[in-house]
Amino acid sequence: MRGRFLRSTIMVAIAAAAVGAVISMSMTQTSGQAQSTRPARIEGKPNFSGIWQANNEANWDLQAHAARPAAVTQQGVYPYDYARVPAAPVLALGAAGAVPGSLGVVQGDGQIPYKPDALLIKQQNAEHWIDRDPELKCYLPGIPRAMYLPYPFQITQSTNKIHIAYEFSNTARTIHLDKVAGPPDDTWMGHSVGRWDGDTLVVDVTNFNDRSWFDRAGNFHSDALHLVERFTLRSPDIIWYEVTIEDPKVFTRPWSIAMPLYRRVEPNMQLLEFRCNEFAEEFMYGHLRKQPLVKHWEGDTMTIDVTRKVPPGDLFYQWYGK
Amino acid sequence: MRDRFSGSMLTVTIVAAVSAVISMSITQTSAQAPAASSGAAPAPALKTPWGEPDLQGIWTDETDTPLQRSPKFANQEFFAEAQRAELDKERSALLRRDRRVERGTELDVAGAYNALFMTQKRTGARTSMIVDPPNGRMPPLTPQAQKLAAADREFRLALLQATETCKNKSVACSGGKYDPTPSPRRADLPPRYNTARMNRHDGPEDGSLPDRCLTMGLPEFGAATGSFRRIVQTPGGISIFYDVGQGQGWQRNIVMDGRPHLPANIRQWYGDSRGHWEDNTLVIDVTNFSPKTDFQGSRENLHLVERWTRTGPTSLEYVVTIEDPTVWTQPWIVKQEFTRQSDQENRLYYEPRCLEGNYGLPGLMRGARAEELAFAEGRGPHPATKDNATDFVGVEDDPLQ
Repeated sequence: MRGRFLRSTIMVAIAAAAVGAVISMSMTQTSGQAQSTRPARIEGKPNFSGIWQANNEANWDLQAHAARPAAVTQQGVYPYDYARVPAAPVLALGAAGAVPGSLGVVQGDGQIPYKPDALLIKQQNAEHWIDRDPELKCYLPGIPRAMYLPYPFQITQSTNKIHIAYEFSNTARTIHLDKVAGPPDDTWMGHSVGRWDGDTLVVDVTNFNDRSWFDRAGNFHSDALHLVERFTLRSPDIIWYEVTIEDPKVFTRPWSIAMPLYRRVEPNMQLLEFRCNEFAEEFMYGHLRKQPLVKHWEGDTMTIDVTRKVPPGDLFYQWYGK
Repeated sequence: MRDRFSGSMLTVTIVAAVSAVISMSITQTSAQAPAASSGAAPAPALKTPWGEPDLQGIWTDETDTPLQRSPKFANQEFFAEAQRAELDKERSALLRRDRRVERGTELDVAGAYNALFMTQKRTGARTSMIVDPPNGRMPPLTPQAQKLAAADREFRLALLQATETCKNKSVACSGGKYDPTPSPRRADLPPRYNTARMNRHDGPEDGSLPDRCLTMGLPEFGAATGSFRRIVQTPGGISIFYDVGQGQGWQRNIVMDGRPHLPANIRQWYGDSRGHWEDNTLVIDVTNFSPKTDFQGSRENLHLVERWTRTGPTSLEYVVTIEDPTVWTQPWIVKQEFTRQSDQENRLYYEPRCLEGNYGLPGLMRGARAEELAFAEGRGPHPATKDNATDFVGVEDDPLQ
């Protein structure tokens, strides 16, 4: 039984699971100063330019959920769902590997109206999160997920184009205010065409592929996805962001999510690189090394032995003595 | 058995390269008809509504100009029109990567990555992108850089010494010699962090940066597949999205408020860009490069000063001063002329999707593991005698080079 806790045949993704924790820590260092050179309006329209970031748990799960011990869990000593324990891939992270709770961002009754077959796929996605979530492989995040990943993004607003550069995975999208036709193939990030509804920027997004997810809980869509996003400045440093999600192949009716996006007001804020395809190499290709760094590959399966050597003096009961 | 390994490896490489075909065919279309595509759009103002020079749009270099001037054109900065026409004729007749060699050889299979994958554009007006030094050549390397380059080259040649590539005196082995004994250096670490193709696939780090979907960033001169950049401006801000290589796009958000560069311990693939306006020119200072990047031997000490100037409704001049006192004995300057591209015809350039289609990198490793196993079981040749990564034909023919 003990061996079952320590050994697991799931592929590892410690770095990806820890990202949320790292970002929320850096968020606490904001200084509150705003940039002064940015005009409030461009050509009479509200200016959304600047660096923004969601500060919520939507990337873990769009729906309301209680905190849980880890993104990957397994049965503990009790057979109850509420008593599961972290599984080996994230075990060594302790509480930093846990999933924070949330009241959810899904509007109305908080339900995502899956068709019955699609709901089964969503549940299987959740069970196979490590192997299926494109975030772990550093694939493109898609829209709307890119908007609430725990990474900043930068809006550069011009007159006929609004460019959004996302820190995660070097990706970007251009919102065309000048009605450029869609691309000849489907895309992760969609084709965005914007218009103004008073002071609200309304963006119609189409031409999606069926690869991106909405969150780490396995919520997904098909290539029939159609989004209508609404960006409204609630104050100079808060955008109210709403998205109506329509996908007749997967959902029985349109549904929507909404959340604030906050300006990163630190005076030295800038987007840094998060070129994660490098970080995912070991995860994706480690089994093909001549001398594997992880010692328990069996074919494509990474078998994780958790060996945590605690340095002398760092055992938990010695901590107060230091 | 041998042929099956190399064949399947190359097949997966081709699949990974499909996105390049799309961007290249678009390159060729717009290069053929620049007047038609730009004529349809209204002439853009050269200033933004808020009074800054307007650099916005999608831009590319529509012609081919070698980085360094060929000795054939020494002391000639520009081609005469007749010369360009003659070169175009000569170059369009080249088979390049479509050239076939002896059927059934590894070298021939490598040709599956054929000329379709490589952009070939009209010969440019200049004989070299380098405008300073005036001879159009990179300045001499420092003794330290020469030593590093020699050590790197020596290591790569050691990995090739027992292969057909050296036996046949192929270009990839130039400077080396054939020795049927596998080199004892095959298990060594490279002299420094690897960025280029080598004849070994022990792990992902043995792949070149482009093979790992980690194409280097700046300076970006287009390389074999061409490149596009979309510039969008806002008051006090500029964003540039680059589409390069095979779905290896990336972006820059130029910091324009005069603050100092990032702390020295933050190193980035694309460096750290600080811009300001000098009259109508956007001047960008770029530092803080990662030691994992490599531009002609320059890594973390690379320093660029870029100058972007809108020169007309459909033209943008790009001049970059390249400096690294640890690598070159003097700074040098490259100049490119970009032409504005149609928005409508360039609608796929925001998807850096290289990684999801990159079956080539794991394919090379899987192939190498299979070869090792076959050798261990007495079914195949010594893996050190194989070269499935570095030898190609048809890249050496271009009269511009």
